[in-house]
Amino acid sequence: MTMVAPPAAGGMAGMAGAMRSGRARVSAARQFGTVMGLVALSAMLWALTPHFLTVSNLLNVAQQTSINAVVAAGMTYVIISGGIDLSVGSIVALSGVVLGVALQSGQALPVALALGASVGVACGMVNGALISWGGLPPFIVTLGMMSVARGAALLFTEGRPVSGFDPGFRSIATGTVFFIPAPILVMAGVYLAAHLVLSRTIFGRYVYAIGGNEEATRLSGVNVRFHKMMIYGVSGLMSAVAAVLLTARLNSAQPIAGMMYELDAIAATVIGGTSLMGGGGTLAGTLVGALIMGVLRNGLNLLGVSSFLQQIVIGAVIVGAVLIDTLLKRRRG
Amino acid sequence: MTIPGPAPSSDAPPRLEMLGIRKAFPGVVALDGVDLTLRPGEVHMLLGENGAGKSTLMKILSGAQRGDAGEIRMHGQPVEIASPRDALGLGIRVIYQELNLVPQMTVAENVYLGVAPRSFFGIVDQRRLRRETGQLLAALGMDLPPDAVVGSLSLAERQLVEIAKALAAPSATPEDVASVLVMDEPTSALTAKEVDQLFALIQRLAARGVAVVYITHRLDEVFRLGHRVTVLRDGRNVATCAIGEVTPATLVRLMADRDVGGHFPRERVAPGDELLRVEEVSRDGQLTDISFSLRAGEIVGIAGLLGAGRSELARVLAGADRHSSGRIIIGGAPVTLRSPADAIERGIGLLPEDRKAQGLVPDLTSAENIGLPHGRRLSRFGFIKRVREQQLADGIVRDLRVKTAPRQVVRLLSGGNQQKVVLGKWLAGDARIFIFDEPTRGVDVCAKIEIYHLMNRLTARGAGIIMISSELPELLGMSDRILVMHGGRIRAEMDARSATQAQVLSAALGLAS
Repeated sequence: MTMVAPPAAGGMAGMAGAMRSGRARVSAARQFGTVMGLVALSAMLWALTPHFLTVSNLLNVAQQTSINAVVAAGMTYVIISGGIDLSVGSIVALSGVVLGVALQSGQALPVALALGASVGVACGMVNGALISWGGLPPFIVTLGMMSVARGAALLFTEGRPVSGFDPGFRSIATGTVFFIPAPILVMAGVYLAAHLVLSRTIFGRYVYAIGGNEEATRLSGVNVRFHKMMIYGVSGLMSAVAAVLLTARLNSAQPIAGMMYELDAIAATVIGGTSLMGGGGTLAGTLVGALIMGVLRNGLNLLGVSSFLQQIVIGAVIVGAVLIDTLLKRRRG
Repeated sequence: MTIPGPAPSSDAPPRLEMLGIRKAFPGVVALDGVDLTLRPGEVHMLLGENGAGKSTLMKILSGAQRGDAGEIRMHGQPVEIASPRDALGLGIRVIYQELNLVPQMTVAENVYLGVAPRSFFGIVDQRRLRRETGQLLAALGMDLPPDAVVGSLSLAERQLVEIAKALAAPSATPEDVASVLVMDEPTSALTAKEVDQLFALIQRLAARGVAVVYITHRLDEVFRLGHRVTVLRDGRNVATCAIGEVTPATLVRLMADRDVGGHFPRERVAPGDELLRVEEVSRDGQLTDISFSLRAGEIVGIAGLLGAGRSELARVLAGADRHSSGRIIIGGAPVTLRSPADAIERGIGLLPEDRKAQGLVPDLTSAENIGLPHGRRLSRFGFIKRVREQQLADGIVRDLRVKTAPRQVVRLLSGGNQQKVVLGKWLAGDARIFIFDEPTRGVDVCAKIEIYHLMNRLTARGAGIIMISSELPELLGMSDRILVMHGGRIRAEMDARSATQAQVLSAALGLAS
């Protein structure tokens, strides 16, 4: 095999070095920014109120964040793959009431958990199947599921909450292990597993590839439709896990639970640096994003800001974070 | 064949001078003191390999980027171009490779986007808009209805709309609007006839005094259209010559600074066993009774105009689309290709026409792209065997001489290197049937030659290649046999060694041979 002589190797290598590792470096810089945002926010609250930086309050923040963080983990998969899932809040409610009814009818805890999880996964996979094989936009399909799952939860319980569970189940929310509240451990476990799957498995690779270029992925022989179904299934599973935490904490499964969860989850994901265009993002970023949301809510509460004003502040923070991101990207670009 | 229009007088005062332009990015000097002089009425070809600095130079001219040093003069006067607005104010118009049109709007609305004639209250005057667009299109010799929705136009027609847009201003003629017109590889998606139209337009504009800068990789265009040519290499001027003074071989040498032998270094080998046979394959409305065979060691070229069914055939063979009737036989056994995965399993690898849209995931690294079709082989219990994946990719990257850093995403690679990564996806498996759809589109001369060498190497190893190309010299130079498609059918089969461009072209146009 004769080849043309190699070009001036030094110049190319130098240029390649300068451009090295585009995705990893950009997202590392972006993640550093998100962490700094969290640190700055915390420092501000520490200066403004003595109640913020106490062990009990911080544990409280982490505990309150855990539910949104778990939902946002699933949302991260979906958004990296180039989709969106608006049905997460309703799936939390449906999965929660199924779990609650199963527990109250005397099912063993593992059976009840499995039932709740199955309902969540099934809803997600129906979303994914309609998007893949039906060729419908994710926005529409999950908007429909948002209504269907909510209606199903109301129908199933005739609109009434299912309350009162035994302490064994409630310990998922109230228990501690070495002084660490159980929900924080659940959240940590979920993120560790979800991170490993996303970064180390072939499924995780396909999540990025589908979001980056679906057609090229399909032409590479990847069964894109099946994997998209599974991605929405993961999101459904995460909603089911969040439903367990929520039901245990409230000691009640409510068909109207999980309202607006989709917004918080999308916000955490996007603040965490995941691109709404798909193809890029990390779970570590989403976790920090969820913590920012949690700290912000907590801080505004501690400062006695009215809940009406809180909504405005949180909305502004979401848009501001993405705006900064976009401006930085433009300058880099 | 168009012939360059009359050369403008060489002692005319320059319209534009760029002097000692310098631009450094972190880690690389993109431009190191580049000069470019444009005379009114000339078509100035800007030639260079990818990374030579052509695009950066034009970005500085258009105000998209600022140079670190150097001076720009218009009509002999120093000017400051700090933003695209400044450049527009000076009559500098740039038409980029990517089109910036709103597909849902009409031709007229796009052409006057932002500068639409308005009546009182700032309402767009639709009648005047249509009339002025009609006049502009007529003045430019474009046969386009002002009311057509841009989304319904062909790529070539959209290109014309983009040009009209660059030259549009209310109540002004094109040559008043643009004193300098820059075009960045405008023909990469056009058919031969459309290229002729575009070139005629460029020549008309030049004849009216517009100074045109034309960036290209294609040597034939340099000689068809240019008056002068400037060659850049590694951010420096190599030469500026009048077209009459140079030959293609000289330009290639100037661009590469090394002697490149024949343009088409095909090393033909004796064909071996039949790898693929296609029998009367049809797909409704796109393909009719396609039959041919491909043997080991062969390159079968497929010629045809845009819309002749060439890419549709490629997609059927790659399992991306289903065929409605007929048989595909691989290695003697009939196969059903339900999905790309089926085709890959049968040893078929597709290098799609549109690398960026179909061949690569831009934000993944070379290794990740190369590994993408081989997920099952590169993983255990669902977990990726990273070391194995990296070793596989390293071998390919070394073998194909892909210029890439270890963790670099493929979006940042040049066109030729991206093409090699797409090829690498299939070399990493056991593909024996390769479909190259426009393999050298948008890559520079040197990368082209490297791709031809790779094709030789594949056929020497016993692979068969189906090469779809719009470049007749490439088809004639690299193929063993040429199939000519027209209207979804194969109209002619020729031996590439004896066929002529005229024969291929007349069959592609549907004329009886």
